Amino acid sequence: MKDSKTTKASEVRGEGMLTRFLRATELDVRVLGMVGALLVIWCGFDIASGLKIPNSGLFGGSFLTPRNIWTLLVQTSSIAVMTTGMVLVIVMRQIDLSVGSMLSMVAVAGAVVQVFELGPWLGVGHPIIWIAAVATCLLLGAAVGAFNGFLTAYLQIPSFIVTLGGLIAYSGVAFLLASGVTIAPMDRTYSIIGGGVPQAWLGPTWSWLLALATCVLIVLGILNSRRQRQKFKFPLRPVWAEVFLAATGSAIVLGLTKVVNSYPWPFMLIKDYAIAHHVTIPAGVSDRNGNAICMAGGQVVRCVDGLIYYTGYAVPVLITVVVGAAMTFVASRTKFGRYVYAIGGNPEAAELAGINTRMVTVKVFALMGFLTGLSSIIASARLDAATNSLGQSNELYVIAAAVIGGTSLAGGVGTVYGAMLGALTMQSIQSGMQLLNLPAAFQNIVVGTVLVLAVFVDQFYRRRVK
Amino acid sequence: MRKALTLAALMLAATSHYALAKGKLIAVSWKTFQEERWKTDEAAIKAVVEAAGDKYISTDAQNSAQKQAADIEGLIAQKPDVIIVVPYDSDAILPSIKAINDAGIKAISYDVQFEDPSALYMSFDNVGVGRLMAKTMLEKGVSKGNFAFIKGDKGDPNATFLFSGIQEVLAPSIKSGKIKVVCDTFTDGWKPNNAQKEMEQCLTANNNKVDAVISENDGMASGVVAALTAQGLAGQVPVTGQDGDKAALNRVALGTQLVSIWKDSRILGKAAGEAAVALADGTPMNKLKGVTTFKNGKHHVPMNAILLAPDPITKANLSDVINAKWVTKAEVCAGVPAGSVAACK
Repeated sequence: MKDSKTTKASEVRGEGMLTRFLRATELDVRVLGMVGALLVIWCGFDIASGLKIPNSGLFGGSFLTPRNIWTLLVQTSSIAVMTTGMVLVIVMRQIDLSVGSMLSMVAVAGAVVQVFELGPWLGVGHPIIWIAAVATCLLLGAAVGAFNGFLTAYLQIPSFIVTLGGLIAYSGVAFLLASGVTIAPMDRTYSIIGGGVPQAWLGPTWSWLLALATCVLIVLGILNSRRQRQKFKFPLRPVWAEVFLAATGSAIVLGLTKVVNSYPWPFMLIKDYAIAHHVTIPAGVSDRNGNAICMAGGQVVRCVDGLIYYTGYAVPVLITVVVGAAMTFVASRTKFGRYVYAIGGNPEAAELAGINTRMVTVKVFALMGFLTGLSSIIASARLDAATNSLGQSNELYVIAAAVIGGTSLAGGVGTVYGAMLGALTMQSIQSGMQLLNLPAAFQNIVVGTVLVLAVFVDQFYRRRVK
Repeated sequence: MRKALTLAALMLAATSHYALAKGKLIAVSWKTFQEERWKTDEAAIKAVVEAAGDKYISTDAQNSAQKQAADIEGLIAQKPDVIIVVPYDSDAILPSIKAINDAGIKAISYDVQFEDPSALYMSFDNVGVGRLMAKTMLEKGVSKGNFAFIKGDKGDPNATFLFSGIQEVLAPSIKSGKIKVVCDTFTDGWKPNNAQKEMEQCLTANNNKVDAVISENDGMASGVVAALTAQGLAGQVPVTGQDGDKAALNRVALGTQLVSIWKDSRILGKAAGEAAVALADGTPMNKLKGVTTFKNGKHHVPMNAILLAPDPITKANLSDVINAKWVTKAEVCAGVPAGSVAACK
């Protein structure tokens, strides 16, 4: 604490415990607020869904179960990936309304490549097919994004108009590419990216190893940042705050891993897997009526006690986490990221400081397009089909998630992890209401209200702080 | 008095026409040719009309109510015997229909209903589609247990039409407790990915104890089947759909979808052509083959109607869609294990 002048000064003024804690840990109070809100939402839905099940106790609902948390993470993936890009777009004082239609268009293009073009030519299941489809989606997404950026930056058309045009036009292209038909099923390897098949589940061993590696990275990251600060004589966080951050971060990672590692494979899949791989089914696997079954003399019979597999992390969730980490790095640790925030803070000053603002704009839109392409892969692989309605109105959810996550439409302010939390919050509300079997129209009302409320609370907080 | 005279004259003229079996004029006012399907309908109608030795003329309103009114004036001037109308706007068209009636020409309301008591309404029976879904489920899927309803968009009257047919069939079993409705939800924009999320939450809420899924179309069925696949339940839990989507017919062959209710617009076109020829030859409207009275439209106007029964496509009759050249055998049978489905041999 000796190293930190600011901490000392604040202590002198005799601030409250919470303020001191926030200052020492450098945590954003809005992020804490959102985490709190998320916990309230989760517990609320669990209690509400528990009321429907007699004698289930206070937290006996179906929301806070490994299965639902696991599903929730997979359901959030597609939107969360796009939000990480949308944060940069909005921070730069631009907007991208075309991501939903672009997702449909890119997904249909990828599906046309794998099902209509390469499938019949190379034979269904050829490994080139899924690679080509993935490449098509990513490249097409990036190219269309760059085109949006070019129109905005070099032809000086406001991005609102450019991407509004895109919203309308790309959905037309999505329709024409396959004359409106649903294309299904996707390539078997490609569909792994969606997380709906056992091959897409990491299993407990790998999930734990990954979790431990992440914890090590968290600790190393904190140590590295401390060393950097010492080197440049920046104020340091007190040691207890550093330890607290490392411990909390690791606890969240390990806790989440514990949760996804305790979601067992669906019964039927265990049975199918065991039969296909000649695993002896011990007693204790249940069929879909909940009766325990086992294998005896090549026959599936009823019995007690035995074989179980756990899912662990699903591929789309891993992709989302990696994208989130990479985008956080890009936003906060690279020259490009600094430029984006500088342009958002004051475009004229950034330009005068010698930043090629036009080029940065094109790059940000291209990055947004690339992430939309990635998201289209996740979405179509998960549905195991591509339709021209796949991404419809996704742009609204992506922008709403970024805004709920603390991104300011005035530019210059916003974090990648905040936006991802925003996406998780919105999906939690939707999934929770679906779990309670509330009508879709009602869900829309609640999500819309939450969006406005989140911005109001944010503004209120900022005014209070001033 | 003058009106009565005109009417008498017209009736005389009409009677004199009866003698001629050939050379009638059948006109069609299409609302648009922008969507591909109407060309399919037209080909079917034209083939029937020309095979009967009659003449076919048509106009295209290009999605405009005004243009359609002008089109119909033009058609009336050519003195056809029957005008088939696909209204762009089923209310705005009514004055034009009155003009057709006043000219003593028979009108057919094709696929989209306009409510005029003297016209003939021809369409597929949407309530019937719902009935067929439920019936096929009871007969070929499961007839008791936990049912999930994945309905279409709340704003689309078809979603409600379908559901009233579904309920009609299932109500007795629901009442007696044989069927328990565990999930019942409308789906924004009929979107497959919304249906997938709904099905995932439905399975979570019921701990996978879902025995049947009534999905109101094939697109949503794709989402439902994706959710079931992730739980290893695809093929165990029967799923319905409609539209005869290629992907859905493939699922029927693979066994992951029970039925896709198929409405072949070529059959509707053929039936309309036959009805038009018969009307032109003087057959009274209420004596046409398969005619019934329909009064469940928006304003409940009773009309003579020919409502075609759609064809429920299950594994057993997949050859119907292949023989009708709706889809190719390769499309239907992609990935189907040899010998498991008769139509794929």
